Amino acid sequence: MFAVLDRFRLTYGQKLFLLAAVPLVLSAAAIAILVTNTSRQLAEREIDALEQQLIAAKQEELRNYVTQARNGFYFIYGAAAPDDQKAKDRVKQILAAMIYGDEGFFFVYDYNGNNLVSPRQTEMINQNWTGLQDSRGTPIVDELIRIARQGAGYHRYFWPKPSTGEEAEMITYVTSFPSWQWAVGTGVFIDDVVASVAAARAEVEARVQRTFFYISGITLGGLLLVFCSGIILNVRERRLADVKLQALTQRVFDAQEEERGRVARELHDGISQSLVGVKFALDIARRRILKGDERAEEALVKGIDHLATAIGDMRRISHDLRPGMLDDLGLGPALQNLTDNFTTRTGITARFSTVVFHNRLSQDAKIALYRIAQEALTNVERHSKAQSVTVDLRGHTRGGTLRITDTGKGVGQHRSRRPNSGLGLRNMQERMDQLGGTLRVMSSKSGTIVEAEVPLTHLLPPDNTALIDQRASNE
Amino acid sequence: MTDTDLTRVVVVDDHPMVAEGIEALLDSYDDIEVLATLSDGHQIIEQLDALSPDLILMDLNMPGMNGLSATEIILERRPETRILLLSMHDTPEYIRSALSHGAKGYCLKDVPTEEIKHAIDVVMDGGRYLCNGAEDAMSASVPNAREQLTNREQTILLQLASGKSNKAVANTLDISVRTVETHRKNIKRKLGISSTAGLTRYALENGVLQGTGAARSTEIS
Repeated sequence: MFAVLDRFRLTYGQKLFLLAAVPLVLSAAAIAILVTNTSRQLAEREIDALEQQLIAAKQEELRNYVTQARNGFYFIYGAAAPDDQKAKDRVKQILAAMIYGDEGFFFVYDYNGNNLVSPRQTEMINQNWTGLQDSRGTPIVDELIRIARQGAGYHRYFWPKPSTGEEAEMITYVTSFPSWQWAVGTGVFIDDVVASVAAARAEVEARVQRTFFYISGITLGGLLLVFCSGIILNVRERRLADVKLQALTQRVFDAQEEERGRVARELHDGISQSLVGVKFALDIARRRILKGDERAEEALVKGIDHLATAIGDMRRISHDLRPGMLDDLGLGPALQNLTDNFTTRTGITARFSTVVFHNRLSQDAKIALYRIAQEALTNVERHSKAQSVTVDLRGHTRGGTLRITDTGKGVGQHRSRRPNSGLGLRNMQERMDQLGGTLRVMSSKSGTIVEAEVPLTHLLPPDNTALIDQRASNE
Repeated sequence: MTDTDLTRVVVVDDHPMVAEGIEALLDSYDDIEVLATLSDGHQIIEQLDALSPDLILMDLNMPGMNGLSATEIILERRPETRILLLSMHDTPEYIRSALSHGAKGYCLKDVPTEEIKHAIDVVMDGGRYLCNGAEDAMSASVPNAREQLTNREQTILLQLASGKSNKAVANTLDISVRTVETHRKNIKRKLGISSTAGLTRYALENGVLQGTGAARSTEIS
């Protein structure tokens, strides 16, 4: 995952935000989908149940009407013969009069498909309706007759409403007067059921959408929270970094001032005084020469001595500021010199070993590694109580490594006591950071290893020398 | 005045005051003739054949090509030239480098002037000369276990290691194949390596062949 993120070159903060936001959004989306589906299914089942219940109620009602009507006619029908036209007409008349509600009526078809009773749509009477279908292709009259022949039953189809002529779904209960070969029934429009079911569905949908909306809102809130805390964190980090930077700058300034002060002091106390001495000596020599005094040479010798002192001081100051050997001879000899001087000054045995080629390191790397060695040796001298220290510099296939190993008591215990004791290590770290290198400090009770590694980009390619030497010999 | 006793000298120093001072000093001796005063390594290499000096007094630390590299190239062309390096530094590393690059003497600039003349005499008599301060520094230090490669030897090693033939190296550096051979022999002796493949491996293991130098590169000296 991180590798993928790396490819987009995001900042650390952006990565962090994505890592928090993406799982949040994904889980919220999953929850939303789950909740929506479950509640939809649940509602659908309820709605189905409701629809069935409503329709069942209608069917029961219809059956009651028809049964009641049939029972009502039984005194005529039961007594009449199959071809008793008078009895039939009486029944037809009564049935035609039995209209109820806005749309309710009874119909009669004979088994041949002829309409005998249709009080609300009288134009249908005495016509044959075999093969009549509704707009969706459901057979109507044939099916009614089929049901009647078998006894009684329900049928659902679309039928124009007598009041408005608009087609609507209706449910019909049909029964038979078998000896007259009649199918008698009544129907009721169930568009109110359909409408209430649709309303229920709409309500469910609205509820689902509302839930979805809530979840989205909560997710958005969460994202906003992540984003805001990210920004706050960022601002805080930046402020902290600013403070750190300020402290660092201050430190750099302090060090610079201190160094300048030291150099100024040395110039004034050492070299200036020597030069003043030279001036006096030369002055005296001049006077003595003018007077013919034989001691003129004595004064000159004194002046030359003073000059030698001044030159020596100058050499030391210049070397302290920046060892010229680093440029002239390379890092190896400079480190050799550093360790030799260290041994002489502190009495701690310092050994230097190297297989690095001289002057193959970049200028920056040379200076950084030299300063790190210097700093590490200073630490060894001040804190480690080590008997010996080795400095090793070598090139290898990944770059170059400087390793300073001492046999002291390690870092750690004395570190917290002095506020500035971590400063040297931090300086080393900063130097390596700048070169894209790494600094490792490994410490135990039996010693400390400081290891600084610079990458191959700080090692010069081999053809570089040839070019420069060639230029030298051609010029 | 007999020509055989006259030492013909060239002074090379990028500091005009020092160069002038040395010239003035040497002019005060009858047995020394200052042929020219030059200000860097490239100039002396260019004019080497024209001047053909007996002895070159050269500053070790010069911009462009420093005294060490110049010493080697001068000796490749005129091995009989004696070179006395001058420096402000009395550290043993400098002195060792000076001698290993072929200088016959090493002298601090701030020694009494008579000593520079003395150094010239010693070197012209075929001896090796280190001034007082330089001798002190040498005796105080522990000698290096392995003799370091000179600048020229390192250059040649890198070229050989990257696959060039003796002849190609000779062409690149404008020196004879024999000189390359000599350098190669010295390199092998100093590193204790007997084969060219070994040299390549040595350069590889020390990371110099892989160096990309993508970072700011430095002047080679």
